[in-house]
Amino acid sequence: MTVVSSSGNGRNPKTCLDDLIAAVLDRFAEAVSAAPAGHGYAAGFQLGHPETLRSLCRFLFWDQGCSFGGIIAEEHPSHWQLYYPFLLPGNGWTAVSLRLPSDATTVPSISSEVHAADWHEREIEDLFGLVFEGHPRLGDFILHDQVWHEGIAPMRKSFSANQPHFERQPNLEWRPLLVVQDPGAFAMPVGPVYEGGVGESLHFLLETVGEDVVRSSPRLFYNYRAVEKIAEGKTINDALLLAERFAATSAFAHSLAFCQAVENIYSSRVSSRAQQLRVALCELERLRHHAAAIAAICESTALAVSASQAAIIEEHLLRASCVFAGHRYLFGLNIPGGLTRDFDTQACTELLNATNKACTDLLELEDRLRYSSSFLDRLEDVGAIDARDARDLNLVGPIGRASAQSNDLRRACPYSGYERYKFDVPCESEGDGYARLRVLFAECVQSAALIRQGVQSLDAGPVRIACDTSHAGASIGWVEAPRGAALHWVSIDGLGVIERYRAIAPSFNNWLGFHLAAENFAFQDFPIILATFGLSATECDR
Amino acid sequence: MIAASVTATALLLAFVTCACGIVACALVSRTKVAGVVAAGGTLSSIFLMLASGAVLVSGRSFEASLWVLEGWGRFTLRMDALSSIFLFAAGVVYLSSSIFVKTFSTTRPGNREAARRFGVMYFVLMASVVLILIASDVPLFLITWECMSILCFLLINYKHRERADRSAGYLMLAMSEAGFIMVLIAFLIVGKSAPSLSFPALAAAGSTLSHGALWAVFTLGFLGFGVKAGLVPVNFWLPRSYTASPSIFIPVFAGVTLNLGFYGILRLNGDLAPGSYGTGLFAIIVGSVTALVGILYATTESDMKTMLAFSSIENAGVIVAGIGAFLVFRATGHAVASAIALTAALYHMVNHSVYKTLLFQGAGYVEAETGTRDMDRLGGLSRILPGLSAVFLVGCLAISAVPPFNGFVSEWLTLQALLRSAILGSASIRIVFALCGAALALTAALAVTCFVKAYAMSFLGIRRGTWGPQAQRNAHAPFPLWFLAVVCLLLGVLPTYIIPILNRAVEPMAQASVTAALVPPFFTATATNQQLPPAFLQDFHNLGAQSGGAVLPGRGLVVLLRGGEQNPVVFAMSPSYSLIALALMLFLAWLVISRWTRERAVVRRELWAGGIPRLLAEMTYTATGFSNPVRVVFQAVFRPNITEDTRQTVAVHFRTAIRRRREETPIVDRLFLRPIRDAMAGVASILAGMHHGRLNMYIAYVVGFFLIILFLYRVT
Amino acid sequence: MSFWFWHGLRRGVQSTRYPFGPETAPGISPGRPVNTQFESAAKAGAAAGICPVGAIVANDRWALVDERTCVHCQRCRLELDVPIDWRPGYEWAELPPNRAHYSPLPRPFSKSLHIMVVDAGDCGACLHEVKQLNNPLYNMHRLGFFTTATPRMADLLLVVGPISENMREPLIKTYEAMPDNKRVMAVGSCAINGGVFGRSFMSAGGVGSVLPVDLEVPGNPPPPLAILHALLAATGRKPLGTPEFAEAVPISKPAGRGPSGL
Repeated sequence: MTVVSSSGNGRNPKTCLDDLIAAVLDRFAEAVSAAPAGHGYAAGFQLGHPETLRSLCRFLFWDQGCSFGGIIAEEHPSHWQLYYPFLLPGNGWTAVSLRLPSDATTVPSISSEVHAADWHEREIEDLFGLVFEGHPRLGDFILHDQVWHEGIAPMRKSFSANQPHFERQPNLEWRPLLVVQDPGAFAMPVGPVYEGGVGESLHFLLETVGEDVVRSSPRLFYNYRAVEKIAEGKTINDALLLAERFAATSAFAHSLAFCQAVENIYSSRVSSRAQQLRVALCELERLRHHAAAIAAICESTALAVSASQAAIIEEHLLRASCVFAGHRYLFGLNIPGGLTRDFDTQACTELLNATNKACTDLLELEDRLRYSSSFLDRLEDVGAIDARDARDLNLVGPIGRASAQSNDLRRACPYSGYERYKFDVPCESEGDGYARLRVLFAECVQSAALIRQGVQSLDAGPVRIACDTSHAGASIGWVEAPRGAALHWVSIDGLGVIERYRAIAPSFNNWLGFHLAAENFAFQDFPIILATFGLSATECDR
Repeated sequence: MIAASVTATALLLAFVTCACGIVACALVSRTKVAGVVAAGGTLSSIFLMLASGAVLVSGRSFEASLWVLEGWGRFTLRMDALSSIFLFAAGVVYLSSSIFVKTFSTTRPGNREAARRFGVMYFVLMASVVLILIASDVPLFLITWECMSILCFLLINYKHRERADRSAGYLMLAMSEAGFIMVLIAFLIVGKSAPSLSFPALAAAGSTLSHGALWAVFTLGFLGFGVKAGLVPVNFWLPRSYTASPSIFIPVFAGVTLNLGFYGILRLNGDLAPGSYGTGLFAIIVGSVTALVGILYATTESDMKTMLAFSSIENAGVIVAGIGAFLVFRATGHAVASAIALTAALYHMVNHSVYKTLLFQGAGYVEAETGTRDMDRLGGLSRILPGLSAVFLVGCLAISAVPPFNGFVSEWLTLQALLRSAILGSASIRIVFALCGAALALTAALAVTCFVKAYAMSFLGIRRGTWGPQAQRNAHAPFPLWFLAVVCLLLGVLPTYIIPILNRAVEPMAQASVTAALVPPFFTATATNQQLPPAFLQDFHNLGAQSGGAVLPGRGLVVLLRGGEQNPVVFAMSPSYSLIALALMLFLAWLVISRWTRERAVVRRELWAGGIPRLLAEMTYTATGFSNPVRVVFQAVFRPNITEDTRQTVAVHFRTAIRRRREETPIVDRLFLRPIRDAMAGVASILAGMHHGRLNMYIAYVVGFFLIILFLYRVT
Repeated sequence: MSFWFWHGLRRGVQSTRYPFGPETAPGISPGRPVNTQFESAAKAGAAAGICPVGAIVANDRWALVDERTCVHCQRCRLELDVPIDWRPGYEWAELPPNRAHYSPLPRPFSKSLHIMVVDAGDCGACLHEVKQLNNPLYNMHRLGFFTTATPRMADLLLVVGPISENMREPLIKTYEAMPDNKRVMAVGSCAINGGVFGRSFMSAGGVGSVLPVDLEVPGNPPPPLAILHALLAATGRKPLGTPEFAEAVPISKPAGRGPSGL
């Protein structure tokens, strides 16, 4: 296992960013102009016309080694605004922004160069109606063709979200797009209501010729609730509820990203006590999430005792969260300006005891699992994604880190005071199920250490400052959620109401890579591959 | 005498009907040919069945002498019990096939261009098959054999103007000729020291052959007749020809001409020139390997006709294994066991004729209704064609050896005959028997897989192909298929009546009565019956067969072999009683369910498929997928060659197609056809070097040859 | 591998005593707000105003809480000068407002209930709490409750989530695929009335608009013990509406409750 330790790479971050800007301007002289920092971005590039978009994105992603954040699309009365955030590790976010006239209907697609943009473009096409030229497969993505028809574009301002939309012409003759064309190939359907027990709604088509499954294609968005649309027009506090609850198992992380975006708009600097507590709560959530993921992996391999032990650890962490913060899933804690409540020393000590015990138990469990050969047999070389594919599709989170993508926003772009903490970012290179399990265990240890650092020496001061929400603005907020890097974009108008809210969830990025892990496997490995990926459909669907 | 005259009259009438049929087919209009074939074929097959039935019932064979040909000898005819059995089976097949020709032509009114040709050749083929079976001397046998081979070829290609690929027929013809030559040489070796070429004379000479000559006769005859019978080294023509032959001809092809190979083997190696146990072992081993190879390819094949062709190979293997066991037991002096083995082989031959004809006719109808034979594209036919589905199911059950149908009885008897190897002395023979028995058991298991796949993928489930509107709903299956299904059931439920009939042929060859061994007259046996010792009657009473004593006539309905003092009953089974018990249990179950669940409301709801809007056909198992595990497990046999593995992408990760084509060369082709073909091609290319077109070299050839002749004549 | 067995034994029995006794471990439930009498109408009005989903209604000095609508945002106890009363407890299952009485599943089902869980747009918290029911601390198997993978064998349909439009058809198919004598349970405030997602073009606003609901479990998310109580009520082993193990005597209510907060 390699670790990326807390020392930096020795170069002055500012010059890296300057080098990047200089390189871009050098290469794309007339087409691109540098934009000043703002909206949470450390740098930006304004495109004169859309044709250079593809080559600029390729340059940033492949030549300069940036990682891709997503695509943010906004509809304004007079124009379209598109942002393509890229992250230069250690240097903050850089956005390529593109402005199109309001009657534009097409945008050049960058997904042939930056494959990670594939699903982002499909989403924007489905929700806004903007066609990405050169994308080979648009349509039938979020709004399923069997339920809706093409062309609804619900994210347009002209579409009213509040009433049910029953004028639909669903395609009753819909057939899935099958990739395997062997004679006699067929596709086993799994879902959306399927998992033996309790599971999210997902649909898979396992294409096979009878023995091994050659390819599996997931069909998501059964849980789509149009969070981004219904957030528009809500006050900040009401939208905060939505940001918290579209993916409740990483509620604190997403609400933190939202709050940081709002705090950035109004240039509020939260107190250091609030920052420390936020870090502790983030890591508590990460620890609990990873315990649940480990329990799911053990359960998928049917090693019952280890699954039970991991589930016990997770339940104890849920109870500790409830005792500490008043809610098992840490709802209702973040608010723009800080936290809604303070915590006394005794509560912090109890929390520390609980997390230390959980960490010890997890290490003991890992030790036992390491010597269970039947368990390892089912995980090793199963669902492997190699480093090149992981980089190609910009996988994030523990999954990416198991395939040698060591990007972690806490290190690459620190927020909430993470730069003051000492911690490692564990990284593996095999990319199979066992590598992901090892990464999960190692991150648990790091989270426990971070909690210890956080609560043992809390700074004095208020835990909340007033946040003046009087003017318009827009910003991104980012956080390393338990499943990976999450990016929220919040745009507020002059009345203090949300104008545009975009949540780019880590599961959305990682689900794109699922089909790489799920190729040429035996059917009985399918639940294990799903469990080691540990993705959330509801976080992806929003 | 009466029997003899009945036989003679019936045979004569059969031939006359054939002749009338030939003339009629040549004269009537094209649309009426099918009717003529049906009428004439039915009549003559009824006469054939009468003739052979008379011989079997009376126990006397029919003989006749025909004219004498200069230099060839006298043509004689002789219909003994062995011929009669084959003839009866042929009669049954011809009966249903003739009617099938008529009913099939009405469903598929295609081009009638070649109908007359077909009709004429059909009757000529029938006549030649009958003559083969009753020929009693070598020249007549061989002439009619050759006639039959050529007619088969012509009938496969009778629509030759429309067909693009006629190579299958040519391959069959070539192999038939090669087999014919081998058989000819075998007969000549036997007849070298015989006064004439009639079968009785050959039989006398056969017993005086030397060991080496006997082996030569056996090998040549076995392999020569094995071409027609479909045995392993020489059967690579069979799948191709069966697939290529038209649907109205293939029932006869599969049901009758395959049996001629067995007839030849039995006649030559069983009757005229019986060999040592070594030859029998060779036959068993070839039979078992044939069966295993046949069923492996049948299981993984998704074209219905090719699958049935491979299944015919498998059944041929089982029959030949039975014949081999018969030879071994006879040579080592165990007459009763040899009789049981031969009975099993003949029974299986009869059964195979019936159910294979049924299956091929069913496949013909499926192809006519849907336009495709590919089981990967069928499915859901039982809703459109319920009658056909029912009889096809009967055929599948019969061929999978499921009681109460006929396949069960003959498979069971074959395996029991192989198990009788316990009485043999030599350990090495017993090991061979054990291994071959294991191979046949594996074959039986794979046969079930194969036909479950065949029935389920074609008839059950959701329709997969794009054929649709033109397939009318035909509730009733045509008559010939029903007839064969009923025959399947009867042959399966009444083995105790069939076995004594087969005994007429078995007893002279095996020198033991299988009726006495397997089906003694339990119910008419009194306590003082000499045939059965009282201790045995006591044991049999324990079996409870006496309970039917007053009700059931004559023989009991149990097939049973008794042993010595230690185990009085070696094996016993009764499909008749099983059928009664099964029917009773089903009735009881129906009674209980209908009484006790009267108040419960039974609601029919939609199929549960995980919540998707509709279960599509591409989400259900295909035939290839079902049989893939077999393909994977036996990969060493199949040795597939993956020729194309393209992952077509638009961009690096937008995969739009993954295509893999696998090419398999059947194992027999790989091991036998290819090397022979390559060798002959090599020789031919060398010889082709001689044909270069230069006139002066040709003159030189002539001169050189002339000189050689002169030299040789000078020397002698 | 025998070490697993030994390790499991060493850990001992962890299951809760509930329903044969109260569960008192800390952290098992966040509790929920209850009707509170304030000193002045203004304070009650402030309490009503702070609730983002309108679960609190002011009636003179009383702040009346509609438990079905509460989404556990904790603002009424963290952001008010005088916070609303927040009581612990977990026996929260109740009938939907349009149902007069509930007929539990007959006796054969009471100790052998098969549950079909369907996620219809859930945020993940309710589903996660349902998953916790299978861990050794709650262990619903000892009470005879099992989850099934197919509705053909299910007696109870447990739905979480506000019913997203893409899941409407699969949910209805699941319900219809269950054999008769079935019950439907809506777990979580999203499943009851849409929760924070409410009604929109993509969200049906609760199970009640799609299927007939027999039992509701409010909370966001309801803790595992609340779901366990609801399952016991579904089989008639526990009564609805009278919590057996409430921590404190609830405040006496004024005559007539306020309208629900929808």
